[in-house]
Amino acid sequence: MPADPSKIKFLVVDDFSTMRRIVRNLLKELGFTNVDEAEDGAVALQKLKAGGFDFVVTDWNMPNMDGLTLLQSVRADPALKHLPVLMITAEAKKENIIAAAQAGASGYIVKPFTAATLNEKLAKIFEKVGL
Amino acid sequence: MVKPVRFDESGDSEDLQALFDSIAAGGITPEPPPSAPDNAGDSDELQALFDSVAAHVESPPGETSERGPAAIGHDGDGEVFNRLGHMARQLHDSLRQLGYDKALEESARQIPDARQRLAYIVQMTEQAASKVLNAVDIAKPLQDGLLGQSEAMAGRWERMFANQLSVDEFKVLAADTRAFFQEAPGRLKETNRQLTDIVMAQDFQDLTGQVIRKVVDIVEGFETQLLQVLIEALPAERKAEVPAGLMNGPVISAEGRLDVVSTQSQVDELLESLGF
Repeated sequence: MPADPSKIKFLVVDDFSTMRRIVRNLLKELGFTNVDEAEDGAVALQKLKAGGFDFVVTDWNMPNMDGLTLLQSVRADPALKHLPVLMITAEAKKENIIAAAQAGASGYIVKPFTAATLNEKLAKIFEKVGL
Repeated sequence: MVKPVRFDESGDSEDLQALFDSIAAGGITPEPPPSAPDNAGDSDELQALFDSVAAHVESPPGETSERGPAAIGHDGDGEVFNRLGHMARQLHDSLRQLGYDKALEESARQIPDARQRLAYIVQMTEQAASKVLNAVDIAKPLQDGLLGQSEAMAGRWERMFANQLSVDEFKVLAADTRAFFQEAPGRLKETNRQLTDIVMAQDFQDLTGQVIRKVVDIVEGFETQLLQVLIEALPAERKAEVPAGLMNGPVISAEGRLDVVSTQSQVDELLESLGF
């Protein structure tokens, strides 16, 4: 985990405000207090392009732009493609998981999930990217 | 700032495209448009359509539909329209003969009702979630404060018993301890109130449970009737098809299914086995 978690700026993307709040609270518990939210992929991409974000946590099934499209857009953008993208989704089909991995997802968590799972996946991603 | 991350760029290529193409192809297979039973009787428009279509047909309707949609690609446009016309006619006739037009009309009338009930569930569950999260937002800092103060106080008392405090320091400690105990019950009572609120917020379950049962009844009725119509009207080879897609929502029942995962460890194993 990073030395100063409050310096890592997260973007939490989910169309349900409750889920955004839950993820935000869990992140806060882990010391990640710098969190912004977006209600779909389109809003998220706009915010990401404005800059300043270090980490994206996104749902899959959302209106306007879904999480996979967001992930693909991030990976296709030279300024954003380095961003870690963790998917937290209720989509549990194997082809979903494979599609996400092939599109360059940094991690994949199925809902319902626990705080421990989120913690573990974040640690793994941070270890990989050296934040 | 974040260091640049090396992602496996090779994954975002032909493989992915092929996967998407195959999925896209499966998802948008042309289907016969289900003609909505907008009115119970025979409409002139339908009759006219049927007549114009039937004029070009040599084979009887039964034989045409039995050949199935797979043959569409090899036929001319005229043949496609013929076949669609026959399907529409057949569906229309089946509906009327079996009395399903009335039944479907009745079911369709119930859909706005079901939609309203579902909106109510969304509203109730959202309210409950907000209530709970608000209560936690209030209770958490109270708990954190009490925890911090208790720990600090315990440390000072340890020093007191180790004879490390002067008389003056002890007097301050005693006063602080008294103040702490005067203050603590108020905060603990507030935490208790929030816990009660959390319990009370679960009342949505009873309400939504009843509403969900009603919606399930409506959907069941509609499903049964639609299923009957489909069984009557669909060619045999289309009956076995399963819709595919990447946005299916939560898996309600994973039992006996090999295409879904049901635990996080299965996700991790799958990714690992693929080298991700």
